[in-house]
Amino acid sequence: MKPLPDIVVPDPRPDEIYATTVLDRSFTFKGLKALLGAADVSKAGDRVAGLAAPDEVTREAARHILAGLTLQHLYDRPLTDDKGRVDSVMRVNYDIDLEAFGSIASMTLGALKDHLLRSAPAEVKRVGGALTGVMAAALVKLMDVHELVLVARKAKRSAKARTLLGLPGTLSSRLQPNHPSDNLDGITMLVYAGLSMGSGDQLLGVNPAIDTVENIGALLRHLDKLRRTTGAPTQICVLSHVKTQLACLERGDPVEILFQSLAGTDRTLTEEFDVTVDLLDRACVTMAERGPLRDVAATWMYFETGQGSELTYGKHNGMDMAVCEALCYGLARRYDPFMVNNVTGFIGPETHLDNVEMIVSNLQDHCMAKLMGLPMGMAPCYTLHSKITLEGQQMATQLLTAAGCNYYMDVHLHTDRMLAYFDTSGHDDQTLREVHGLKPAPEFLRWAMERGIFEEAEDGTVLRGPHWGNPRLFCSSDAEYQRLLESVPAAYGFDSAGPRPADRVSRTLRANLAVGREAIYADLRIDAVDGLTFRRFRTAAGDREAHLNDPELGSRLADELRTQLSPERSDVQIVVSDGLSAEAIHHNVPALLPVLLDGLRSRDCKIGPPILAPFGRVKLAEAVGDALQAKLTLVLIGERPGGDALASRSMSAYFAYRLDDPQTRAEAARFSGNPDVRYEYSVISNIYAGGLPPVEAGSVVAEKIFDILAHKAAGNRLESLIASDRKTRP
Amino acid sequence: MDRTAVHLIGLDFGSTTSSALVARARVGHHGVTGRMELESPEIVYRPEPVFTPFRDDGIDADAIDALLDRWFAASGFRPQDFFAGGTIITGLAALRDNATIIARAVGNRIGEAVVATADDPCLESWLAFMGSCSTLSRLHPGRPILNLDIGGGTTNPALGLDGDVSATGCHYIGARHFQVRPGTYRLTSISQQGRALLQSLDLRREVGDVLDEPALAAVLDWYVAALEAVVRGDSTFFATSVGRTHEQVAFPGSTGAAITFSGGVGELLYRHAAGQPLPGTTHFGDLGIDLALRIARSPLLARDLNAMVPEQRGRATVYGLALHSTEVSGTTLFLPDAGVLPLRDLPVVARLPIGAGAAAIGDAIALARRHARGACIQFLGTMPAQDGVKRLGERIARALGHASPLDRPLVLLLEPNLGKTLGNYATDWGRARTSLIVVDEMPDRHAHFANIGRPRDGVVPVSFYGMH
Repeated sequence: MKPLPDIVVPDPRPDEIYATTVLDRSFTFKGLKALLGAADVSKAGDRVAGLAAPDEVTREAARHILAGLTLQHLYDRPLTDDKGRVDSVMRVNYDIDLEAFGSIASMTLGALKDHLLRSAPAEVKRVGGALTGVMAAALVKLMDVHELVLVARKAKRSAKARTLLGLPGTLSSRLQPNHPSDNLDGITMLVYAGLSMGSGDQLLGVNPAIDTVENIGALLRHLDKLRRTTGAPTQICVLSHVKTQLACLERGDPVEILFQSLAGTDRTLTEEFDVTVDLLDRACVTMAERGPLRDVAATWMYFETGQGSELTYGKHNGMDMAVCEALCYGLARRYDPFMVNNVTGFIGPETHLDNVEMIVSNLQDHCMAKLMGLPMGMAPCYTLHSKITLEGQQMATQLLTAAGCNYYMDVHLHTDRMLAYFDTSGHDDQTLREVHGLKPAPEFLRWAMERGIFEEAEDGTVLRGPHWGNPRLFCSSDAEYQRLLESVPAAYGFDSAGPRPADRVSRTLRANLAVGREAIYADLRIDAVDGLTFRRFRTAAGDREAHLNDPELGSRLADELRTQLSPERSDVQIVVSDGLSAEAIHHNVPALLPVLLDGLRSRDCKIGPPILAPFGRVKLAEAVGDALQAKLTLVLIGERPGGDALASRSMSAYFAYRLDDPQTRAEAARFSGNPDVRYEYSVISNIYAGGLPPVEAGSVVAEKIFDILAHKAAGNRLESLIASDRKTRP
Repeated sequence: MDRTAVHLIGLDFGSTTSSALVARARVGHHGVTGRMELESPEIVYRPEPVFTPFRDDGIDADAIDALLDRWFAASGFRPQDFFAGGTIITGLAALRDNATIIARAVGNRIGEAVVATADDPCLESWLAFMGSCSTLSRLHPGRPILNLDIGGGTTNPALGLDGDVSATGCHYIGARHFQVRPGTYRLTSISQQGRALLQSLDLRREVGDVLDEPALAAVLDWYVAALEAVVRGDSTFFATSVGRTHEQVAFPGSTGAAITFSGGVGELLYRHAAGQPLPGTTHFGDLGIDLALRIARSPLLARDLNAMVPEQRGRATVYGLALHSTEVSGTTLFLPDAGVLPLRDLPVVARLPIGAGAAAIGDAIALARRHARGACIQFLGTMPAQDGVKRLGERIARALGHASPLDRPLVLLLEPNLGKTLGNYATDWGRARTSLIVVDEMPDRHAHFANIGRPRDGVVPVSFYGMH
């Protein structure tokens, strides 16, 4: 790895004006960032950031200008952060094959696109090594869907850890046996189910619910045991923070593949992901020296990216989502990773509103990453509060498979029970293999054929074998199978019809999705509870569209309302909001609120008249707290629905304690390290019939309020004060 | 919280053998039911069973001490490592002061985490079913399973459905009523029930005699007939003079249930059914091998041998002790002062429906107050209507207001997750002076006694005994 100071980056220049005319209309764009943003397909995140072109003609005008710029022009104008500096991520992106760059520097982007479409794969790969992330992003903004597929297909990349992945003719999968409580039996069942469907040749990788060294170590050892006992030729990973994984490696846990999420700006990377380029450099070296696969693997890093994370943190430095994403790839390339995975669509409608936005972004990301030399897997995914659907996701996978995608996720029956989002399934992976005539990685295929998961026809075609889709294959007894099965939520059966789930299974699954969506789009229908009438407050989100597409609007009160409010100085102000599930409110507040109010009255708390605030977000607590000067604002809000129909009714209680006296604020600042801290938060989540029932939650919430008011603290500082009370108690 | 790993121990001292087992499990919210449970159990220490050490007519206290020391040393665990567990002392080991000696030896080493129970045959039947068949039973929903746990001294039948036990019994049918010199059929000991059986069969055999082929066949035929009577619920079989001597707790039977086996004889039976070789003639110095082979020839008893194979089998009871003798409470208890725990041997003085009226609640609380060390009241039923908890709490509060003294612990056990709210309403949100504890997410165990352990990460272990 080239040391950062040795990477040559030209000095930044002032923004230039780019101008053109289309028929009788003139268009100007100030600076490359604006030009790049306007040249892309219109996406929700870029619209919120004010970067998307307002109309089709403006977009084509921007593309026209962009197509005429040379690569040297882009090279000479590194994009800077908000303070005008080249950040470390941008600097890493300039670590390119300068000799190859010299051969294309004078090409315009339009000419480069034509060159790649005309060239053989070897030339495409050579040129890819000469591109910075900004150049790759600029290029894909000029491409249509067919072009994104064609160019990516020429740049197939392989990588070897324990096994070799990404060979031509293969389509692999990362088994993602996530469980909401990291239950080892549940994880085992999902691993068995995936393996029985021929999934997992890329990786057995768990996203943990709890990121502690002890838990991550336990999960790593468990995955290692499953890999050994099944004999599956693959590798394992637990996708916790890189620091936690390094601590596990230090303890001797089997950290075979080292994972980290990446971001395209230094601020997002360091402030939100708690990672620096220096740390990643050290982590990569540590794996080379001490990783358990150091003697057999050529590479061992695993990165995850996805359009929109920089934007949702407000740390995109004025760059559009595709550019930020490409910069991630420039950073990933530094470590010659074993695998990179893209989860564009994961965040929600604030970045990708609908199927077209998600599909185009996925094709762009895949093409950029492949061009830049990465062994790229894709996870076209969605959450229920966007307008992306299962159909759109499946269309994306057909196109991405045509484009040569290395691997997909296998999330059992499409529903991630831990992360409450929807990804590709083992059924999808096998369907795509059959439609496109692809196989799993060779070593894994041999293993699976020995177990009857696959079999080979006389003409060499790989078919599903007699044990395909039967996880019982890996259990020693019916009782073990039963015990494992009981620990998996949202497991609707293993019946299949060809490579697809049986219709009975699909109907259950789709019904649950429908219930979840309905919860988001249901209107808040609650005016009074137990004789108590709510006062209605409007947020800055005037309607549901605005609420879903821009989370910030639901955090503010409507302007005309704010000016009418005056301080009430109650101890507790209750705010009820639908958030992302009105049904959560309908099913919990009527039972919870009477208990809570009884509890608060027992302590003579001064309670402000409860507020009903449709289209609200958690941070609305601060707007209400500031306006009414309550000591504590309690927001009861619907959680984002996941795949379980009942969980679509899950509610959270957020406690926002206003740090109004100087001494308390000083203590909070000292504890948090944030001198500007104004509120401290506690949260109780999972309030619903299948989790913490609302009647019991009423007491739990009341007692949390007693604690917060007594200690004048919330969140970690409160827990720390309570723990210290316990220690000093005789 | 969800990731808390705990260690659990089971110790089983029987007429013939003694077993130990240590399991590791995680205390966490079940991903499907949402209840707090011991999940992902894994056996981490399971020594071979040893003969229970007797000397003269009693237990050999020194040998028990040595045995426990050996187990602990080999397991690598310290007493404080255990979250919960159970010790069961049965048959000869429970006679006279044997149980006290064993319980003291266990208590000296493990302390309060593990509760010892002696001569609780229905608990033993229940444990054996849970240890061997609970998962199998859930695998076949709607199909009753009748498990026969056949050990040295007793057969402990239990009938279960969908993982829950509905009936238990106990009969003196076992491998060791006739002890012989290993490798021969020369009698070295005959139990009281064995003598009664010989007499009823008109067989005159004494210690030192050989139990010849016809006599052996007669004894085994009677045992198998008795087991078939247990399965059929044939009370007339045990109404005879010899039958009465062989029945401790009657069992209703179930002709339609699938039949499974556990215990030492069950282990041998499944080995035989799987075509594995059994040890040589009377290898264990008793009739266990012969009984297993004879059961295999009974069309009734052997009908499900290959189709329904339970887990653990020979170690069903000790596994049940480690994994199933302890229930984990919910995380939102009403427990104003955790310092009062642990509470041992609390009688469950009443089992009331969750909608019970004021009079019934008043009577139950008055009864509880008579027990100097405190008592439990179990509320049965699912989540009441919206304001049902408040009304129930207020009824309890009124009854508590009339009861005295107030310093005796009163523990309410209930199944739905509403312990904190019920406790708050029952104590006027903590303003009433009471010694009330409410433990929720407790299944109904039909037990007479409960032990409430110390809290750990917000939950308490609760074990039950006295299941007659």
